[in-house]
Amino acid sequence: MKHKVRLKDIAKPAEVLCPLAATDLDPVPGYEEQPFKPAKPDWQEKYDFSLDGFSALGLTKPASKEEEDALVDKFLRGLEKLFTRENNWTFMQPTLLSTDYCVRCNTCNEACPVYVESGRQDIYRPNYRSELLRKLYQRYFTPEGRLLGGFVGADVELNWRTIYRLAELTYRCTICRRCAATCPVGVDNGLLNRELRKLFSQELGIAADGVHKSGTMRHLQTGSSTGMTPAAFLDTIEFIEDDIEERIGRRIKIPIDKKGADVLLIHNAGEFVSWPENPAAFAILLDAAGIDWTLSSESMGYEGVNYGTWYDDFQFARVAVAQVQAAKKLGVQRIVVGECGHATKALVEIADRVCVGDLAIPREGCLPLLEKIVTSGAIKFDPGKNNFPVTLHDPCNMVRLMGIVSPQRNVLKAITPPGCFREMPNAGIMNYCCGGGSGFAVMNTLNFPQWRDNVASRMKAKQVLEAFKDCLDPAIPKYYCAPCSNCKGAARDALMNHYGFRDKYNIIYGGLVELMVNAMVDIPKPFISWEDEF
Amino acid sequence: MSATLGWLIAGPFMYLAVAVFAIATLKKVLTIAAMPRHLRWDLYPIAHEGPEGSAFQKAEFWKRPRHYNLACELAEMAEEILLLKRTFLYNRKIWNFSYPMHAGFYLITGWIVLVALGAVAEVASGLKISTASTVFWAQALNAVTVVVGAGGLALGLFGCLGLLWMRYTDEDLRDFSSPVTFLNLYLLIALFGVGLAAWLAEDPSFVLARGYAASLLTLGPVALPPLMTLEALLFGIFLIYLPFSRMLHFAAKYFFYHNIMWDDEPLVSGGGLDKTIVGYLHYKAEWSAPHLKSGGSWLEQATTNPAKPKEEGK
Repeated sequence: MKHKVRLKDIAKPAEVLCPLAATDLDPVPGYEEQPFKPAKPDWQEKYDFSLDGFSALGLTKPASKEEEDALVDKFLRGLEKLFTRENNWTFMQPTLLSTDYCVRCNTCNEACPVYVESGRQDIYRPNYRSELLRKLYQRYFTPEGRLLGGFVGADVELNWRTIYRLAELTYRCTICRRCAATCPVGVDNGLLNRELRKLFSQELGIAADGVHKSGTMRHLQTGSSTGMTPAAFLDTIEFIEDDIEERIGRRIKIPIDKKGADVLLIHNAGEFVSWPENPAAFAILLDAAGIDWTLSSESMGYEGVNYGTWYDDFQFARVAVAQVQAAKKLGVQRIVVGECGHATKALVEIADRVCVGDLAIPREGCLPLLEKIVTSGAIKFDPGKNNFPVTLHDPCNMVRLMGIVSPQRNVLKAITPPGCFREMPNAGIMNYCCGGGSGFAVMNTLNFPQWRDNVASRMKAKQVLEAFKDCLDPAIPKYYCAPCSNCKGAARDALMNHYGFRDKYNIIYGGLVELMVNAMVDIPKPFISWEDEF
Repeated sequence: MSATLGWLIAGPFMYLAVAVFAIATLKKVLTIAAMPRHLRWDLYPIAHEGPEGSAFQKAEFWKRPRHYNLACELAEMAEEILLLKRTFLYNRKIWNFSYPMHAGFYLITGWIVLVALGAVAEVASGLKISTASTVFWAQALNAVTVVVGAGGLALGLFGCLGLLWMRYTDEDLRDFSSPVTFLNLYLLIALFGVGLAAWLAEDPSFVLARGYAASLLTLGPVALPPLMTLEALLFGIFLIYLPFSRMLHFAAKYFFYHNIMWDDEPLVSGGGLDKTIVGYLHYKAEWSAPHLKSGGSWLEQATTNPAKPKEEGK
């Protein structure tokens, strides 16, 4: 059912503005919808669920009129700062343009998987939250808004409900920017969503725990968003060396802190914790290809993530600068970011205008290097070893936002037999987010995961089913290749655990390097197994 | 309408409108252009990277010369500007009306140029350009001007009426349409509609329009018949209003594409961009969340660790 929610309704005192139910969602073939579990009574008492019945932020309800007024004041101060040069040189021009020149054609709506899969709920339109931003900015900071009010669209009331719902709404968008790719003018609702998140974080101190408290803050405190300290990192590497020996029958010494190495490889540290076979596969490949490489055990040097990318310019800059400083300390020639989409975009592209002066060390993503390994002939591959259907997920950050489209495909074509690799619908630049984007994969508080798995990952589930539609029989093992750590997190939580793809269809997920190692001629045993828990 | 009022509209008011339009548009464009270089926020494919695609696809991309395929960029721009490619691909329902409206604008812009050309030609050659012209180029110019002008007005009117109909009947669009959105459409409908009526009733071969253009160009504006005077009034209002409305997206679009989506200029240590960004790092930021140091420079903020890392032995 579609819940009609007009823009002005955002300030209404309704208990839940858009009470989303499982029956509202667009069906997934072969999946029986389960009703949403209601939020626990003690949560409901303490936290605000008034947007859609879910909470990503755990916002405690204001206790007094003074608290409500303080929220409004702070919000307005932050809103003003978004449009000032000194406070927002980082994104002022795109923010102002996207605020001023939207022609309200709604072209962006159908590009958004969250909007479409939610049963086209108004509140999830990509331009719903940005239109609220425009209306509030107009109402309080433009002469025409102050003078003409509703006539020019400045008609949304600002109260604590508006602020809380808007804050929650910013965590119902994965910032995949698919909407921006379709906008006839070039308006970027994904960017405006990030700017709103920024306003909440940088002025009100409101951000999702997964990206801030257990994200960038823990990262800056311990050296990794996983909480892994340098000492723990070294223990993990030893474990991975043991694992490699067990898998391939010989021990590889993983280089750590090698001064002056050609390549400093930085993984998403989540790989070490959840998918150690991925850094293991990298080690096998780089060793076999004879690349002069190293990992860093320096705090911040072994963790590629940068959750500031999604919500806070300062946290972003702090993490990026510290990562590059760790590389500089080792005197490496270049940094290569492992299989992590946002980490690649953050460090290679966005940080390009943060890491100035002597911090401008060359940085690149791993996919071109992997392609070079394949095409150089440094390693012999037997595609026959990957004789099973494979489909490829395009991480938004690498593909739509960096244009890295062909290297991973060239690798797959070289390491799989003809006919095994199949594209999913909308593959490439217009691919859909895994559902874990913009921090969703690491946001696990209250009942947000239920929303994420049911709504944000739903389109990906359909794409995967479509890609494997000719071989869904569980007797046929299938591989969903997601060369991105957060996308794998979403695959684990949503595709495998929620939609049950592994049990129902014998689909497993993993990265690209695991497939490459699996196809290496001189690796005796399969590196990928449908029996092991990945 | 008195003759004096008519002359005031056709003459002084039109000069004023053109001046306001030019100055305000230029000011807006310069303001946007003067905004700080933001962090990279590319969106691919970037047209000038051509068929080779993103530079990030190549290992050690910084060692390769930056490729810039102007032909590909111009082709993409032409498709977007002339055909409204993205609207066609992703919102055909809107394109069915938006395209005629935009085509109407393009044709009317072309018509203004043709009328001005005709005016200059008349002054220079002493010939009168009309259907009765005996000289080939004059006949041709007249015919092209009529087709372009009348076609532009008709397409523009059709497109605007269609868009107005959609804004009223499509519930989703309506919620996103403020009264000013409707006002914009009504203004355009009036502009195209009155223009069409004036052409049919008063100036079917644009002889008067050409004479009017010549009078404006020679700084001796003449009064016009009633419908044409009304059209001049509407056109003047439109010109004055345009730079202050979202209709200026035609200029903003340049920045959306070239300065944001396609801004793939890499930072070179010691280069101009590097120096510009270093300058920004001295800006004082006043954000006041607990993890920030309000009033500190960007450089201080970026090199401050609010989480005080624990010292642990390796």
